Amino acid sequence: MNREEEIVSTLCTEFPFLHERISIQKAKRIFTNVLRKDEFEQVIRFVHDEMGFWRAHEVIGTDDGENIGLLYLVSGAENIILILRTSVPKTNPVVKSISDMYLSIVLHERELVDLFGVVVEELPDGPSYPLPDGWPKGNFPLRKEWNPEYLNKAAMTYEPPSEKEAKV
Amino acid sequence: MSDNGKNLVVIPIGPQHPSLDEPGCFTITLEGEKVVNAIIGVGYNHRGLEKACESRNYYQDLYIIERVCGICSHTHSTAFCMAVEELAGLTVPPRAEYIRVIVAELERLHSHLLWLGIACHEIGYDTMFMYTWRNREKVLDILAAIGGNRVNYGVNTFGGVRRDFDGTISSAILKTADALEDEIKHYLDIATTETTLMSRLVGIGRLSREDVIKFGAVGPVARAAGIMDDIRVVEPYGAYKEIEVHAVTDTRADVYGRTVVRILEMLESLNIIRYCIKNLPDGIIAVKAPRRVPAGEAIIRVEAPRGEDIHYVRANGTDMPDRVRVRAPSEANWHGMKHMLEGGYLADVPITIAAIDPCYSCTDRAVVIRSGNDTEIMDWMGLREYSINWYKKQGVDISALKL
Repeated sequence: MNREEEIVSTLCTEFPFLHERISIQKAKRIFTNVLRKDEFEQVIRFVHDEMGFWRAHEVIGTDDGENIGLLYLVSGAENIILILRTSVPKTNPVVKSISDMYLSIVLHERELVDLFGVVVEELPDGPSYPLPDGWPKGNFPLRKEWNPEYLNKAAMTYEPPSEKEAKV
Repeated sequence: MSDNGKNLVVIPIGPQHPSLDEPGCFTITLEGEKVVNAIIGVGYNHRGLEKACESRNYYQDLYIIERVCGICSHTHSTAFCMAVEELAGLTVPPRAEYIRVIVAELERLHSHLLWLGIACHEIGYDTMFMYTWRNREKVLDILAAIGGNRVNYGVNTFGGVRRDFDGTISSAILKTADALEDEIKHYLDIATTETTLMSRLVGIGRLSREDVIKFGAVGPVARAAGIMDDIRVVEPYGAYKEIEVHAVTDTRADVYGRTVVRILEMLESLNIIRYCIKNLPDGIIAVKAPRRVPAGEAIIRVEAPRGEDIHYVRANGTDMPDRVRVRAPSEANWHGMKHMLEGGYLADVPITIAAIDPCYSCTDRAVVIRSGNDTEIMDWMGLREYSINWYKKQGVDISALKL
C-alpha cells in the first residue's frame, strides 16, 4: 500500500461516508467527491489536527450551474495534495472560513467573496480582494452568467440588455 | 493618533510609492520608528485573466496565461501546458522537456538577478544593483535569441515547444553560463563578507520555520527557514524527473537567508542548464495536440522562481476551458508579510516587502476597470492603434499587419 492509499484508508476508516467518495487521481493527488458542508468541516479539521496536513494551498471556486463548487487543496510534509470538494447553492452561498486552521487561506477566501459572491462566515476583517472600490454590488465576475461586455467601465455599472431595455 | 497613551503614526506606503515596483498599499502604524501594525492591500493589478480564459480557446489562453507575469512567464505557460497535456493524454517528447527546463532555469536566473538588484537598491547599495542588472541582460539576450522576446518568450505549446536549439544557441548559453558563474560567485562572496550588506539584512523580516508553516509561505521564503519545498525535488515534473536538483535551504529565516538561498539557487540553475545542454536528447520537439480537450480536471504545480505555482484547469470537452485558476507563489507569500513587518523598523519596510520578491501581477492575475473623468480607457483596438502610431513616429509602419 503506498502512502496515498494509506491516507485514503485512514480517512475511510475515520469517516465511513467517504467510502467510494474519495479516489487517487494520480501520484500525490487525492480527490473527494462533493461533500456536504458538515462532512467537509469534519474531514478538514481531522486532516489538519490529526494527519499533519498543515498547508492550505488555495481554495478554487467553480461555477457548477445552480451551485458554486469549492475545492480546498491541503497538503503536509509528504507533499500529497488532498482536494476536498464541497458545494454551496447560488441562492444561499454560505460557507464557514477555515482561516482558524489555515491562515494562508484568507486571500483565497476573499476571492470567493468578490468573484463568486460566496458569503464566508468568520472571515477575518481586512481589505476586500481583488475587485476595486466602487465595483457594482451584486456583480460576481466568475459566475458564468456575468458578462464583461455589459460592464460600463466609465460609470462602473453593470447593464445587461434586459435592464437597458427596461430603462427605455 | 493615540492609543493608550502611545503616540502612533499611520503611514500609507503605496499604492504608488518609490520603493514599490508595482502597486500595493501597505498601511503601516508606527510607534516612533517601530512598526506596530501593518495592513496589506493588494488587488490593484487584477485584470480578469481567469474570466478571459473561459471565453477563448486553449491556444488563445496560452498567450493570456504567459502574460500572467512578465518575469515568470515561462513557468505559467509550462504549468498550463502540462495541465492541458494531462487532460488530453499527450506525451511531450524528451527533447522538448529538456528545452522547457533550460528556459525555466534561464528564467530563474534572470528573475533572481533582477531580485538581487532590487534588493540592493532598496538598501541603498546601487553599485550591486547595476552589476546584477548588467548580468541579467546577458540572460535576457539569450532568451531573446531563443524566443525572440526578452520576456514572454513563447517557447511552450501544447505537446512540446515551438523553438528548437541549434549548436549556436547551445554554445552561446554555455558561454554565458561560464561568465555568469564567476559573477554570481563574486556576489556570494560579497553577500557573505560585506558587512554593510549583512548589517542591513541579518535579522530583518524574520519568518521562522513555525511561522512559514502557520502562514503557508513558499519558495525561497520557506527554504530560507529550513523548509525544503522545491517542487523540482518534492514532485519532479518534465525533465526534472531525470535531473538531479540540489535544493538550497538555509536556517536564518530572515532577508539575509533569502538572499543567500537565491544566490546559491542561481549557481544550481547553471549546473542544471549545463547538464541539459550536454544531455539534450535528439528527436522531435512537439506532438500534435487536439483543439478540443476531453472533459476532466488537472491540478499541476511547478517551481517558479518565487516558489510553488499551481494551475487548475477544468475541461468540458470543447475547445475552451470551463475554468482556469492560477495560484501564483506571491499570493501564498503575502499572508506572512504582516508578521514580517511588525516589530521591525520603518526603514526596513521596503527591503522586507522586496524580500518575498513580490509579484503583484501574479498575485492579482486577473481589464483596467477603474476610471475617472480624466482617465482615458483603451480597449484592445485602441491599444493596437496607439501602438501603430507610436511605431510610426519611430519610423516603422506596421499598420499593414492584420490581426
